[in-house]
Amino acid sequence: MRATVGTFTALAVALVLLTGCTTAPSTTSSTAYVPPTSAAPAPKPEPAPAPEDLVPTVSSALDQNQAPRALAPQRIRVESLAIDMAIEPVGLAADGAMELPRDPSVAAWYRFGPSPASAAGATVVAAHVDSLVYDIGPFAELASAAAGTEIVVTTEDGQERRYAVESVQTVTKADVPWDSIFDRAGPGRLTLVTCGGEFDYDARSYLSNVIVSANPIA
Amino acid sequence: MHKSLKIGMTAGALGALVALGGLAPAQAAEDVAKLSVLHGVPGLTVDVYVNDKLTLDDFKPGDLAGPLDLPAGTYKVAITASDAADASAPAIGPVDLPLEAGKNYTAAAHLDEAGKPTATLFTNDISQLAAGDGRLTVRHVAAAPAVDVLANGAAAITALVNPKESVLTLPAGTISAAVAATGTTDPVIGPADVNVAEGTNTIVYAWGSLTDKNLALAVQTIDGLHSNPDSIPAGEAGLVATNQADGSTGLMVGGFAAVLMGLIAAGVVGVRRLSAVRR
Repeated sequence: MRATVGTFTALAVALVLLTGCTTAPSTTSSTAYVPPTSAAPAPKPEPAPAPEDLVPTVSSALDQNQAPRALAPQRIRVESLAIDMAIEPVGLAADGAMELPRDPSVAAWYRFGPSPASAAGATVVAAHVDSLVYDIGPFAELASAAAGTEIVVTTEDGQERRYAVESVQTVTKADVPWDSIFDRAGPGRLTLVTCGGEFDYDARSYLSNVIVSANPIA
Repeated sequence: MHKSLKIGMTAGALGALVALGGLAPAQAAEDVAKLSVLHGVPGLTVDVYVNDKLTLDDFKPGDLAGPLDLPAGTYKVAITASDAADASAPAIGPVDLPLEAGKNYTAAAHLDEAGKPTATLFTNDISQLAAGDGRLTVRHVAAAPAVDVLANGAAAITALVNPKESVLTLPAGTISAAVAATGTTDPVIGPADVNVAEGTNTIVYAWGSLTDKNLALAVQTIDGLHSNPDSIPAGEAGLVATNQADGSTGLMVGGFAAVLMGLIAAGVVGVRRLSAVRR
């Protein structure tokens, strides 16, 4: 089974090399992170402003002009991969990494970034792929997600928000563009992150992150 | 609650005002100055003239306009009663606002300590914050003596006088903020919840008049100052590694677990793989 996966990965890499990345397959394994198409800035045609233009004006009252609190995602389900996990809001670990629950069966949402209800940007949900105490977690299945796989995220208002996988990439950790992963601008999207690839048995750490990019289903 | 005020502009009103209306070609952020305008004079609806052109019509107390992208330069701002025909008899100003490219400003029309209308140009701190932090800026633009700002009941800023500011960097989160005469803890404003949002400069203005008993808080936010986490370490056991020996998951994990037996206290009996080895 593992050998098959390895062979497949090797083939995928070869394919990527052969095609020169121009038409990247949905599942790739490489060290270079390819930004999902949704992350590309949308072309913004500048409307010709009228001679009488508008200056945006708001009430500065405390109850009307504060930064809005983001609507937290609480559950993530990927039926085809048997993933059904609670999501906890998290911040940062002491070392500047995104904090994660120890239990790989609990996912984490980066609460300082966008939520599925935000007007723009990437909602980042991550979980451990495995643990010495808790064994393998559900996010281990993400590496095999096919393009189009449906992901359902439930936000705290009870609304179910559906996404379709655009790409699954395994990227060596040093090459992950974190500012792009945690992008607060651009189209609303969902980015799932876990670990994968080869394991450094001395450092007890995976060498890569598995990054799933998904777009909202209209 | 967005509402919009029209920029009154004639066809001949070119130059700086053209940029105010957005007619100037799109410019990179570092080439322009950003200017917001806060109206902090109670009971006085005004018009705002920039370089003698009407820019904000019927601007109401407590309202915040902008931010506007402006080419760097010095702008003459005059604030008149809302029924004025032009900028010739301003209630405040005219004042010259020198705006530098790449900076972010708020011009506040407000009362001085003695209660006389005035205007102050503040430069907003838009330097990048560490991930997880928020910035709280407090500005005293009220007709009132020196104040202390209490955060969650304790003095966080002391002896702030009109028209000065104090800037704090705090872990992001909501604080209960109140304003009291300096050296006291009896609030003259608040307490009120203020969201010190992550990656954001939350600017709180104490405005109004102590004598007239209309002191209030106004808030302006500037986001996009955040930093991001620098990693997501999301695995520690190698159970799904692609470099497991011989593709024999069980043996590999079993051997790994045997090593762990020496490292981990016997308390970890719940681990399935360890139990398997023990058998």
